[in-house]
Amino acid sequence: MAPSRGLSILQHTIMAPLQSSGIMKVARRAFSSFSEKLSNPANSVQSYVSHSSDPYLNLAIEDHILRTSPAGSAVLFLYTNRPCVVIGRNQNPWREVNLGLLKAAAQGNSKPRGNSKPPAIGHVQLVRRRSGGGAVFHDMGNVNWSITCPRDDFTRDKHAEMVVRALRALGVDRARVNERHDIVLDQGYEKRASDPNDTHRTPYTVDDGTEPRPLKVSGSAYKLTRGRALHHATTLLASPNLHIIPQYLHSPAKPYLESKGVQSVSSPVGNIGLDTSSFQKRLQDEFAAMYAPGKSLSVEVLGEEHLNIPEIRKGYDELRTNEWILTQTPQFTLKLGPSQSAQQSMPSRMEVNVHHGIIKAFEYESKICPSAVTEKIRTLLVKQKLQDIQDWRSFFQSNLSGDHPGLSELIDYLEEYLPIPEAPTA
Amino acid sequence: MFSARAALLEKKYTEDHEWVELSSDGKTATIGISKYAADALGDVVYVEIPEVGTQLSAGDSLGAIESVKSASDILTPFEGTVLEANDALADKPGTINKDPEGEGWVARLEIEGEPEGKLMTAEEYQAFTEEAAEH
Repeated sequence: MAPSRGLSILQHTIMAPLQSSGIMKVARRAFSSFSEKLSNPANSVQSYVSHSSDPYLNLAIEDHILRTSPAGSAVLFLYTNRPCVVIGRNQNPWREVNLGLLKAAAQGNSKPRGNSKPPAIGHVQLVRRRSGGGAVFHDMGNVNWSITCPRDDFTRDKHAEMVVRALRALGVDRARVNERHDIVLDQGYEKRASDPNDTHRTPYTVDDGTEPRPLKVSGSAYKLTRGRALHHATTLLASPNLHIIPQYLHSPAKPYLESKGVQSVSSPVGNIGLDTSSFQKRLQDEFAAMYAPGKSLSVEVLGEEHLNIPEIRKGYDELRTNEWILTQTPQFTLKLGPSQSAQQSMPSRMEVNVHHGIIKAFEYESKICPSAVTEKIRTLLVKQKLQDIQDWRSFFQSNLSGDHPGLSELIDYLEEYLPIPEAPTA
Repeated sequence: MFSARAALLEKKYTEDHEWVELSSDGKTATIGISKYAADALGDVVYVEIPEVGTQLSAGDSLGAIESVKSASDILTPFEGTVLEANDALADKPGTINKDPEGEGWVARLEIEGEPEGKLMTAEEYQAFTEEAAEH
């Protein structure tokens, strides 16, 4: 097992298969009994791990756990997703994500709009989760942990502290919980005296705002319901993609969007340098020590076969629709024009207002586009649902007959700054 | 003097920590989240309000709140149609923290039928939250 290291030394660990190993008792049961076991009040502490890397399935299982587990219970669920970008419940994907990059990779297009060439990691899907918080990138070097517990004894820090204890037990002595309830690795050069039981400080902690900045290795988000609280978080163990994450999380539309909702806070990130199976095992033990001290806790493996549970299927299908991914976006206005920043000179002015996924207002002023055509375009776009468009060029081709001066420029604007990603179900 | 009509005007609370205030004719209800819930959420950074005309069943989500990376839903105890939503929350979500049971109201519904779940008086609700805190 490797000690904690920062971004300077990237560790490319070969992923162990996501099976629980060794001493642990792995209870494999038919999927039909999962819901019964999950909802049985006698099971006050439960532990699960997914062998699927489908982000939509893992989130659907997690939501089922939140809705179904008994009122007083604590449930741990671990999973790893294939490459995807996950945005918070109340975020704007056009603002937080380089959708053009996602779309180009999905279509196998080597020449996407703009100057963004997709890194060669294949299709990266867009996911909207049900919890709050900002946008994150997931891949197979990232382990997600989720804990569902009673809302009354929930705090935003208690489970991050638990994970820090697990990391320190594995030799990661730079790990601590920060003021944003995330886990960081301190990068201080000097080792100073520090209470080993203080999960908010390490021997390498430096004062706020001074260099070197800690590296974020785990980001938290929460979903609260009546009586229950879900805390889930990423954990960057050995992502081979740290250098390309910023490309996915920087949108070319960001400077031109006025958006309600939640904006991401970007932080420098690093890998912890542990392999998946030892981290999972340690975390499962730490969870058991916290909620069922002195008892042995079996870990059940979940996966694709659990889609046969109707509630999980329903949640899965919903998460895969553009109705959820796009139309849930809080109200926003995209403003492009000559008055915008000098970095990109835009000859024409365009303003689009979108609320509940529907274009509420549209304005376009172009020297080469006659006002009669602009009017036609406005009539066509207002009340149009964005998710029904898919591709701007073909949308205009099939709805506006003939050749219109200035239209091509408008399509370029829309394709670049308001691309419509394909739904995962498509 | 307490008549049946006056009793309808009293603010009631749900177990999900919403408050409801019925109009004197009992046909409309204003809904928001309780001070207890707002305090527990911390700084509210976003409130999703429903579109006017939206039809809801009892127990449906009327809106969404985000505070300190936490998403939670605002539920309606009544079936009904949204008559009015508090647009001011879009620009000033912090109103939910400042005045949750006044200016921080979320929506007004034209309601149908009986509420789902128990509606408590202020005294009953206070006892309910105190009991929850002891667990």
